[in-house]
This record gives sequence, C-alpha cells and structure tokens, in this order.
Amino acid sequence: MLSSTITLIILSLFLGLAAWLIFIWAVKKGEFDDVEGPKYRMMDDDDD
Amino acid sequence: MIASANSSPSCDHCGLPCDQNLIDDRINGTALIFCCHGCQGAYRIITGAGLGQFYEKRNWQQQGVPDAVFQTAYHDDYLQPFIRETEEGTEILLLIEGIRCATCVWLIERILSSQPGVKAARVNFGTHRLKLVFDAGKTKASTLIKAVARIGYLARPFTREAAAQQAESAHRSLLIRFGTAVFLSMQLMGYSLALYAGYFQGIDPQTRHLMQVFAALVTTPVVFYSGFPFLAGAWHAVRNRAPNMDLLISLGVLVAYGYSLWAMLAEREVYFDTAAMIVTLILLGRLLENAARGMAGSGIDRLLQLTPDLAIRLSATDESEQVASAALLVGDRILVPPGQRFPVDGQICRGTTEVDEAIVSGEARPVLRQVGMTVLAGSLNLTCGVELIVTCQAADSFVARIARMVEEAQSRKAPIQSLADRLAVVFVPLVIGCALLTSAYWLISGHDLSLAIVNGVAVLVVACPCALGLATPTAVLVATGSAAAQGILFRGGDILEAMANIQVAAFDKTGTLTCGRPEVKGVVPAVGSADDLLALAASLEQASAHPLAQGIVREARTRGVKVDTLMAEAVPGQGLFLTTERGVIRAGTREFLSRYGVVVPETFSSVLTEVHLAVDSCYQGVLYLDDSPRPEAVDAIAAIKQLGVEAIMLTGDHEAAARHIVTPLGIDFFAKMTPDRKADWVKAAQNQGRTVLMVGDGINDAPALSAADVGCAMAGGTDIALDNADLVLTRPDLGKLVQAIRVARRTIWVVRQNLFWAFFYNVLMLPLAAAGEITPIHAAAAMALSSVCVVGNSLRLRQRRG
Repeated sequence: MLSSTITLIILSLFLGLAAWLIFIWAVKKGEFDDVEGPKYRMMDDDDD
Repeated sequence: MIASANSSPSCDHCGLPCDQNLIDDRINGTALIFCCHGCQGAYRIITGAGLGQFYEKRNWQQQGVPDAVFQTAYHDDYLQPFIRETEEGTEILLLIEGIRCATCVWLIERILSSQPGVKAARVNFGTHRLKLVFDAGKTKASTLIKAVARIGYLARPFTREAAAQQAESAHRSLLIRFGTAVFLSMQLMGYSLALYAGYFQGIDPQTRHLMQVFAALVTTPVVFYSGFPFLAGAWHAVRNRAPNMDLLISLGVLVAYGYSLWAMLAEREVYFDTAAMIVTLILLGRLLENAARGMAGSGIDRLLQLTPDLAIRLSATDESEQVASAALLVGDRILVPPGQRFPVDGQICRGTTEVDEAIVSGEARPVLRQVGMTVLAGSLNLTCGVELIVTCQAADSFVARIARMVEEAQSRKAPIQSLADRLAVVFVPLVIGCALLTSAYWLISGHDLSLAIVNGVAVLVVACPCALGLATPTAVLVATGSAAAQGILFRGGDILEAMANIQVAAFDKTGTLTCGRPEVKGVVPAVGSADDLLALAASLEQASAHPLAQGIVREARTRGVKVDTLMAEAVPGQGLFLTTERGVIRAGTREFLSRYGVVVPETFSSVLTEVHLAVDSCYQGVLYLDDSPRPEAVDAIAAIKQLGVEAIMLTGDHEAAARHIVTPLGIDFFAKMTPDRKADWVKAAQNQGRTVLMVGDGINDAPALSAADVGCAMAGGTDIALDNADLVLTRPDLGKLVQAIRVARRTIWVVRQNLFWAFFYNVLMLPLAAAGEITPIHAAAAMALSSVCVVGNSLRLRQRRG
C-alpha cells in the first residue's frame, strides 16, 4: 500500500516536472513576450 | 483626435478630412478619394496585394499617417550597424510608427511576408517592435523599410539597449519563478488535501509522515527559489534596519516553513501550504504590476532615437560623405534632406523649409525656418532639403539635454513608500514582541523551553497574515482594470496611491487646458459685412493645410458662409495670395500685407493671432484667431478644487496669453517656463512636502512629468510625454482626470479596508495561539476567511462607476 503510494507520487512528480520543463522552454523561447497580440491575430489569420 | 467630420469627405486611406487638393480615383469600380498621392499609392498596394479587408477590419481611434512617411528612405550603409546575422538569416529590429490597431499589425506582417526574400516578420503588438528576418542575398533592409513606408507606416531601426535587455530578462526570471511556484503548489495541494482529510477522518501515522515529507520536498524550492526576491529584500531591510513589506512577508513565509519542518519531525500538524501560497500569490501580484508598468517601454531610448545616428557632412568642395552624428563637430556643414529629422542642433546656411517641431515644443503647426535660423535636433524637416552649420555637438543637443533631464528626474524621484510598507514598520516589531511575550509567559509559568518556543512561533504563524499579499494587488488590479475600460490608464499601484494623495495639480497650457487648435474669435471688416470678409478669407485659405487656415474654413462652415474653391498660392510662414479679376487678394500677417503697400491699421490685441486681408492695396479687414480652452476645462478645474487639490498652470507662453486662458478658470499661473524651470517648480513644491500631479503633452513637459509624483499625459500628446507619464488618459478629456482622482481615492480606501480584514481574523486567533490551543483547522479557517474577504472587497471596485 505504502510503496504503491510512493510510486504514484513520484510518477506524478515526474509529470509535473515535464510540464515545468516545457514552461521554462516556452519562456526562454519568448512565447510570453507578447501576450496582447495573439488574441487579435487569431481573428485575422484566415489563411486564404 | 477625432476629426470633426460634419460633411467633409475624408481620405479613403488615412481617414483625414480632405476637402482640398483631393485626388479622385476608381479602383475595382469603387469611387475613392485621397488626400495625397502617397495615400493613393498605399491604397493601391494594399488592395493590389489582396489585403483590401484591412479597410473593413481596422479600428482606428486616430486618423492620419505619420508625417513625411511616404518620403522615408534609408541608406543601406546607415542600416548596416543595426543588422545582425543569426542562424535563421539576416535580422533587423525596427520600431514601427503609425500602428493603431491589431489589423495594422496583420497588414504589416502580410505585406512584408509577400516581399521576396523575407523569411519572417513578426510585430509585437504591445511594443510596436518588428523583428524582421530576411535573406540578404535576395533583398535589402532598405527595400523592406520602403515597402512598409509605402503603405503608410514609419519604420525606424533601433538597437536593443542594455537596460531594456536587462528589464526583459528580469521579467522572464520573475515569470519562471512564478511558474515554478505554481507547479509545485499544485503538487503540494494534493498532499495537503490528504493531510486535511487525515486530520478529520484519521490517518495512518506512517502515511501522514510520508505526505509531510513530500510536502516539505516541494515547498522548499518555492520558499528559497521562487521566494528569493522577497528574502533578498528582507535581508536588505534587516541590514538597513528599515522594516518593509518584504520583511513582513519573509517573516511569515520563513516562520510557517520553519515551524512546519519542526512539526514534521515532532509529528504535529504542518503548514507548508500556507508558506507556498503566500509566495505564489505575491509573485502573481508582482507579475501583474510589472505587466502594467512594462507598457511604458523606455521613453529615454525613444527620445534619443529621434535623432538619426548618421548625418551627411559636406566638405569645403561640396562633396558629401556619411558620418556618425556623434562625430560631427561645431562648425561642420551638413545636409538634411526632406523627410528626415535633424541629427544635431544647427543654424541654416542654405535653403528654406518648413519644420515640424511638435516633438520639441508641443506645438502641432509647422514652422518656417530660413537662412540664419536655428533648428533643433529631433525636429522633422518637412518640405525642402537644407544645409546647416552645426552649432553644438550631438551629445549637447536639445534632445540630448532633455533626455538627461528626464533621466535625472527619474533617478531622483523617491520611490513612493506604499501603505503596506508603512504598516510593516509598525507591525514587524509588534508581531515579534507578541511572540517573545508569549514565549516568556510560558517559560515563567514553569513549562519547558521547547513548549515555550513552539507557542511563541505559533503566535508568529497566526499573526502574519497571508491575505496581506493580496490586499493591495487585488484592489489595484480591479481598479486599474475598470479605470482602463473608461480610458484611464494607471501605471501601477503606487501611482494609484500617489494619485489619491495629490495636493497640487500643475497643468501645461497648449493642448492640455486648451484644444491646441485655433478658432476664429472675431471678424472685423474694414469694408462690407463680416460674413463677406469671412467668405473671402475662407475661399482663399481652404487651399492651405495650415491650422490657422483650417480654423477659418471651419468657422465659415459653421456660420453657413459660402466657400468658393480657389487655388491660392502659399508663401510659407506668411500668407496666401491669388490673382483674380478683382485684383490680387492677399491674406496673411501684417508684415506680409505691408510689404505689398497695404496700409494695415493698428490693432489692440496682443494675445490673439491676426490674419489680415487685402485686395490689391485696399485693406479689407482682420480675423482674430485663438486657441480656446477646452469646453470641459472650467467644470473639471472646479471639480478638482472641490476635491481639495490646488490647480496651477505652467506655460512656456508669454504672460498675456497665459492670463487670457486662466481668467475664466480662476487659477494661478507661471508664464515663460522652460522645460527645466517647469521641472524645478515641481521639485520645489515637492520640497515643501506637497504631492504634485503634472498634466502635459509635449516633450517640453517630459522632465516635469517625470519629476512629479504623478505625471499625466493625454492622448494626442507626443510619444515622449506618454512614455514618461504615470497616468495616461486615452481620450483628451479633463473630466477623466477628475475621475482618475476619485478612482484612486476609492481604491486606497478599499486597500485600507482589505488590510484591516487581512489582519482581523488572524488577530482574533492570537489569544488562542498564545494559550497554546492553536489547531490547524482554526489557522486554516482564519487564513481562508481573510483571503475571501479581501478578494470580495476588492471586487466591489468593479461595481461602482463614476
């Protein structure tokens, strides 16, 4: 019982870690530099 | 400014009203009109590229295109220092002028992407910066800038300053700290939930210990990595013996964290979630405030970017060579083509031109500059190329001096001590005192040391309110959000607070208290009726784009006078003339008419601008024009006085003109104020211990705007004024200023209430903690209740309008 709890918790920690690494990568790539524009861009990009 | 489009047609590209010189065109079967060939070209390019939907989608609050945009041309040698080679291709960063809405961003990106050799074009909507990656083998940077200019946007190269880069990386690091805290807090929530459930329903001690260990594991980085900015701030506060908000937060976090570590080993209940929550929420608050502030960009950078980095120097034999502006010496002769800004201050030695000095003086009308006259760096050469003798080096130019003054004022401006900081000064010693007293009591009453310490620490945990971190940011967030919807932009919480405490409001004259637009105040005919004179003047002046001329034409329209379309010729800076069968009609200054032998009678006014008219040598009469006060100015000033704020006008204009404006307003004024004297006046008032609000719009107000506790700029002002302003009104309406003061006062009142609620529940728990009876469920309830109260109270700010 206890060992399976530990396994699950550690597994969830790894999942969290993966999400965290993706977040760090996104920040470094500059994904959050312009948070205002994309909402308008979405309306305009009608790839014709 | 919204054009008063009564019935006059407006240009189909730039939207400016154009009832003279209009160009008719027919594109795809639709009849169109344009104010100039540039706009016509832009329209043809845009529709030709299949992007005509731009005109349906755009949402411009302001009409027109940047001055001289269609003449813009950059030399490739000039652009070379700005170009970088990256692995993606050749890259250049450009600052775009003329972006009004998201559709502009879309249009620029589309147009550039359709150019051969362009790999990527991305405009940042917030900062108006364009990152352009292209293939240097297929196209040139100058070609691409030209492509942008042809559709009516001005692109200027810029280098990223070290300071700006630093600010960007600081913002990213804050974002990463916050993101980390959020991810770990989410993990922590799971363990905490298990522990809470265990507290009520019973839990196996081994499992409980396991959960606590994992909780400690995820909390540690939150406290020491994410919370590092507060810990550093607190350490600084301890060393300076000046308790501040950071110290209070750190105290709360460290005590909750340290106590929980001990409790984990002693098999008691832990509060790791409290520690992590404080850090996460406060980081969120800082992030939001940073975002509001970040819009400001850096005004000084842009100020210096107004002056071109390269200049064309002429040798004694009239050979031209490109040199860096900084390398120009006093006495050098340089050539400035039309459409370019002057790189240095200088004296014109050849040529006559009209110069747009709006950026320097705040006056929107172009001025005539002839041989022997001085031009200032940063102003825009509009009509003809001129040669000038450099009178001072680039580093000492007018713009550079202003930039230095702004920088100085900013660095000297004392940071506003926030309400929470002032509270910390009282609260930190109080909390520590309470904890010590509790420990002492338990020790004296004969218990052992460890129990005394535990109870003392429990008091610290309970007394340090976690809702404190929420009290200010939530109120500020809600208030700034609802103010922004009404066109009032605050640049941060401290500005709201300073605004609430304003004691003196200083106003600039032109464009702030007045409309910045001349209007006809009087028509005095020498022969015939007033309407005849006005009709004659308007028919002549309708050919000119000069603000005075437009004022006359506007007046004629309002009075319903018939205006003929005559093609008069303009003499820049003097007036207009037209040869008809009646004779030569002239309209213009007294000197202009006198030169042609017209006897102009004496007039009495020294305040108003005069436009005289004559047919041949027969004097017809005079029109008086004046920049009138804003219609809402009287009410707004009265409301400001009613709020207990003293109003004052600071103007660069002469005394008679100033008195003319302030008389109906009933306020004091100071005339003939230069930019630095305005700033000095603000500083002097501050030294008397008064909180000063400065309202202005020109570059000449920039130093005073930065020096003031709150600098306020209105839309329609110059970029520099907007950048240096702490408070921006998106509509030129003084009534908004009164609203801003009211919003600020209400917000500070709500923050005070919030702080009260943040403490209230925790203080209620104090006796329990001191008695050694604290249980986790009590502590959790106190924390949750205070947070809910604070957030709910802040949301009230959204409800009330007014």
